[in-house]
Amino acid sequence: MEDVLTPPVAIVAAGVATPLGLGLETFWSGLVTGVDGTSRIERFDVSGLRVGRGGEIKKLAALADAASMSCRASAMLLTAADDLLSHAALAADRGRIAVVLGTALGGVDELDRAIHAAPGPRAAAAGLYDSPAHALARRLDARGPVLTVSTACASGATAIGVGADLLSADAADLVVAGGYDILCRFVMRGFDALRSLTRDRVRPFDRRRSGLLLGEAAGLVLLARDTEARTPLGRLLGHASSSDGSHIAAPDADGRGLEHALRGAMATAGITATDVDLVSAHGTGTALNDRIETDVIKRVLGAHAYRVPMNSIKGALGHTMGAAATLEAIMCLLAARDGVVPCTVGYEEPDPACDLDYVPRAARHARTRISLSTSLGFGGCNAALVLEGGA
Amino acid sequence: MTRVRGIGLLTGWGAGAAALPIEATRAADGRRVIALAPPPSDGERFRRATRECRLGVAAVEAALADAGLSRSAISGPGTALVYVTAAAYGSSNRIFVDAYGKGGAASGLYFPYTAPSAVPAEVAIDCGLRGGYVILVGGAATCVEAFWQAATLLAAGRCERALVLAVETFAECEDLWARGRWAVRGPLVEAAACAVLEGGGGVRYAVATAPAALETLARRRAGETLACEPLVGLALARDAGEQHAALTGQWRGRRTAVTLGLPAATGAAAHA
Repeated sequence: MEDVLTPPVAIVAAGVATPLGLGLETFWSGLVTGVDGTSRIERFDVSGLRVGRGGEIKKLAALADAASMSCRASAMLLTAADDLLSHAALAADRGRIAVVLGTALGGVDELDRAIHAAPGPRAAAAGLYDSPAHALARRLDARGPVLTVSTACASGATAIGVGADLLSADAADLVVAGGYDILCRFVMRGFDALRSLTRDRVRPFDRRRSGLLLGEAAGLVLLARDTEARTPLGRLLGHASSSDGSHIAAPDADGRGLEHALRGAMATAGITATDVDLVSAHGTGTALNDRIETDVIKRVLGAHAYRVPMNSIKGALGHTMGAAATLEAIMCLLAARDGVVPCTVGYEEPDPACDLDYVPRAARHARTRISLSTSLGFGGCNAALVLEGGA
Repeated sequence: MTRVRGIGLLTGWGAGAAALPIEATRAADGRRVIALAPPPSDGERFRRATRECRLGVAAVEAALADAGLSRSAISGPGTALVYVTAAAYGSSNRIFVDAYGKGGAASGLYFPYTAPSAVPAEVAIDCGLRGGYVILVGGAATCVEAFWQAATLLAAGRCERALVLAVETFAECEDLWARGRWAVRGPLVEAAACAVLEGGGGVRYAVATAPAALETLARRRAGETLACEPLVGLALARDAGEQHAALTGQWRGRRTAVTLGLPAATGAAAHA
């Protein structure tokens, strides 16, 4: 088995809807200034839950188009798409524009509604996981491939990888790729029952870290073949995925699957450890995840791991599940654009088991060109992206 | 060229293509769902796993037996897994939603099984898979895309072997599917199917304007199996002694196509 170098893919533009703001620059400004976007959840009743906080988008309905959508996931996607389209046009034959979206939950909130409140066929159809992707494709008039990827919380990275593969296979000329997920009763009940949520703030890599908070968001990037993009935001140099094959809910204690994904992504990108300028960690703020990620990064990057900033943006957003990896990829590109690495919000006290540079306290000026982004998900899903900013 | 080394097929009609009726609609005799019971549970290992997880594991076992491969042959990073489903997560989600909707405690131990990633996760755990991993959600067209994705992983050297697995269950959401019967015609036939792919290259992503003969045949013989349909077609082609299988699949108004090489009836192929 020998990894073949993959042709770089241009990331032409990006668009987001997040708890920090509904556009790219508001999102970026929130990250750079270290805003904590989590708050008390207001959209649905959380009184029966141990934890009622999360990264909730409060003002989604302010946008006319989004407000017209009964499906919140689709509304978030359309909001992110509006943002993306404000930065770049979809200049291609409509049949050659693909949509590839990652999600952990799909339309599960609509399924809940279909079971308990809405008896019609439309509600039942909306409960399918791939309904939001098709809603976005209709709105964009994208008539090429429409794929929904669901590698749990690694979905946003896997989707970008599949999108790049579509371009390489000449199955599309433009790909709108990314991820989304919403806060809803279903997922809050699940994580609450798992006792994965913290009553404290999210503290990735901190000695006192005690769990995650969930968030909702949509993040999209526009991908094109590298030779056809004039002034891209950046490039995807390599990507890879893997499974742990170890546990249904917990990551492999040794991180073997994640290591395989990281090494695979670096091999397809044709880079070595010393080429990496920034690591965007999955960094959930759970005891196990953060320790495993740290160990894997040290194995993969060797001594260079101690010289590279490694941040997590989940302290600022909560864990946005299917959107997380896409937002982290966008963060890497914006960091390269502006020469600023956002800090890890919530990180204060070092943990001897997590001994890398997690960018504490405040954003830092740094020239970062090549970033490595890691993602993990339920069921042992792993994905890694190698990104180049400022191309 | 990407070639199929083995196929495992389980449907509500039985194991293998030979179990399929000539005409699914007639064989269903008015039944809306043809259910597929999972194999007997393997004690503690699958104590919490859902029906669709156990069906997925059983389909992979059948494909490996057909390919003449052991589990140890596919363990580690060399084998990729591409899983596709349009409906299987719906069963587990329904159980979870009903649990808290009725005021009961939704179990944290059950929650991880509500994700579409639960089925391939149990397969990966069972076989020790650590290779490339993609999970797609959609129907027959998406399964065709799963074949393309698996072939892409093979061609790029990201794996030595790839499994394409699909599982569809309907019984738990029969009422919801009945609401959409104008879009998804019955009978809904539960299925779990897996193909073992080797080689690489020669598989192009294509859009089709009309169903290939195998799509029509698989639909007529098996009924509505959503993402499993191209795998049903593959099994039918192999059992008919075809050298290649031109597969198409349709989902949400889109139809995709792919062509795969088939071995001359090898392993347990002739067993059907």
